[in-house]
Amino acid sequence: MSQDHHRQSHSSKSNTGSTLPVRLFFASALGWLIISSVLGLIVSLKLQLPSFMAGCEWFTYGRLEVLQRNAFTYGWIANAIFGVNLWIMSALARFEFKDSWLAVCGWLGWNLTLTLGLGAILLGHLNGYALLEMPKEVAPALFISFLFAALWPAVAFVRRPTGHVFVSQWYIIGASFVFPVAFGITQLLVLWYPTSGVLQALIHSWFIQNIQLLWIGSSAISATYYFISKESGRTISAYYLATVGFWTYFLFAGWTAPASLLGGPIPVWIQSVGVTTALMMLVPVIILGINFFGTLSYNRGFAGAWNNTTLRFILVGIVSFAVSSALNILFSTRSLNAIVRFTDFTVGQQQLVNYGFVSMVFFGAAYYILPRITGSFWPSAKLVHLHFWSCAIGGLGLALHLLICGYPTVNSGVMSYYLPVIFFVLLQLVGHIAFAINSFVMLLASARNTHDNTHA
Amino acid sequence: MKDFNLILSGIFFTLAASFGGLLISGEVQLGTLGRAPAEEGGPLYPPRETGLAIQGRQVYLELGCVTCHTQQVRPAGQGNDIAKGYGPRPTVARDYVLQTQLLLGNHRNGPDLANYGARAKSDDEIHGHLRSPAAGSTMPAYNFLYVVDKNGVTQPTERAQALVAYLKSLRIDYNSPEAKLKQ
Repeated sequence: MSQDHHRQSHSSKSNTGSTLPVRLFFASALGWLIISSVLGLIVSLKLQLPSFMAGCEWFTYGRLEVLQRNAFTYGWIANAIFGVNLWIMSALARFEFKDSWLAVCGWLGWNLTLTLGLGAILLGHLNGYALLEMPKEVAPALFISFLFAALWPAVAFVRRPTGHVFVSQWYIIGASFVFPVAFGITQLLVLWYPTSGVLQALIHSWFIQNIQLLWIGSSAISATYYFISKESGRTISAYYLATVGFWTYFLFAGWTAPASLLGGPIPVWIQSVGVTTALMMLVPVIILGINFFGTLSYNRGFAGAWNNTTLRFILVGIVSFAVSSALNILFSTRSLNAIVRFTDFTVGQQQLVNYGFVSMVFFGAAYYILPRITGSFWPSAKLVHLHFWSCAIGGLGLALHLLICGYPTVNSGVMSYYLPVIFFVLLQLVGHIAFAINSFVMLLASARNTHDNTHA
Repeated sequence: MKDFNLILSGIFFTLAASFGGLLISGEVQLGTLGRAPAEEGGPLYPPRETGLAIQGRQVYLELGCVTCHTQQVRPAGQGNDIAKGYGPRPTVARDYVLQTQLLLGNHRNGPDLANYGARAKSDDEIHGHLRSPAAGSTMPAYNFLYVVDKNGVTQPTERAQALVAYLKSLRIDYNSPEAKLKQ
């Protein structure tokens, strides 16, 4: 397995066919990030002041919270995944994605459908399952858009005539394949032709684990591998373990689903399978830890990483990944799970994964990719710093607050419990606005340049 | 690892393994589960929902109540749901066999509602709670479910009535072959 190609410099700034779709994915990811953070702020305000905006049915907590979750996952994270994965594949020498118009169709379809689906949620057409809340009628369009935006680029990539497949690309292929399968099966068995009773909950938990670990998680792991190696200029340490890590990660992830239903009305043996496989996730997590931290630990690598914008974000990301994986494994055991199940502690765990790890890694990726596709520098270094510190403090602070104070026994009746939540969410919003201003100025300027050049 | 087909078949296998191992085995065990009498010859449980309760379930869904309220009681060794008074026994798979859209929930900002119908004393109490939740509660008031009539009296809309009928239908105060009530 050669690792040479990932060290090759990325020479082609804008001559690959993927530039336009990558720009579009980033632009819409930023838009959804701002929308979801504004919704997050409203939702946290409503917990502190339940009467805030309570007069109108559209803005009731139950709907806005659902809206926020979907805008964050299918808006921000999904678009970032499409953009980063496409870019990582195209950045490799000897691969030019020729059918970029297909990815643009996927981008258009995905974002239009998502807008329609979220509008329907606002109007009260929602389902009771996390991340399946959008009406089932929008699912086929999302499914097909995904094939255009992610699956076809991945297939085109692996079918290119020459070249090795680096570990990042295994995870991208996996992620691009898992989403449509898990999403399609779950839509059919839960919403279109519902199975009876609690089987739906079991299928839904399988869906969530696949989406969370194998689609979102895999994509973030892929980007981490790529940028750690690229920016530190070193090969991944203990690279021979990466294959084992990859296959054990994919093999165990789906099985961990019932660990999120402990104590629920499903057969006990199924719950036990979930607990056991959740513990087995230690194997891939340790391997990923060795690969990530090992690579950065050479020759004052951590200090170097801290001084590199991309790696600074990714450093926060891999620390969050390590902590959240340890917590997820530990709190899958029955006795500990019994204490924290249904509480805000689990929201804190989610926050640590989806924000501390995934979002931070994609922020880092954006700092590497956007200058290269626009051919310009970040307009303001101050805004970059503001983005990092607001999001690191806001994101990790929120996660820590929820993990430490999230038990009802600690916070029951304490109304000030939500004040830090509001503060940290506000801080994140500030960071996101700084990031969006910087990115849009850059994207718009480069779009204008391209426009001028074509007319010149 | 260079071979695309190998990677793809491996990924397919890992997905199929968890799908088969968890979901198909689950279907084999639970797919044919039906209602059962609490005692021999007695009526079948869980009871069928009334038409109004089915409409109320839709209102419950539309308002996103499931975001903050679960409908599942864990057994005594696994959390303190029973000690908190959420239900007289744990919920089991059979309690949900009639539900085409499950509302189990996964997070509790408010109490569990699996046995709320047995806890609530009257319709008025539930309406009162929906219009003005207890002080210190994070639950918003659902005033838009109520209208003031010509005489200045607040009346529940049809949706509020349906919602209350649904909430009253949430009960697990009967014996199930898998989970008996404590004598």
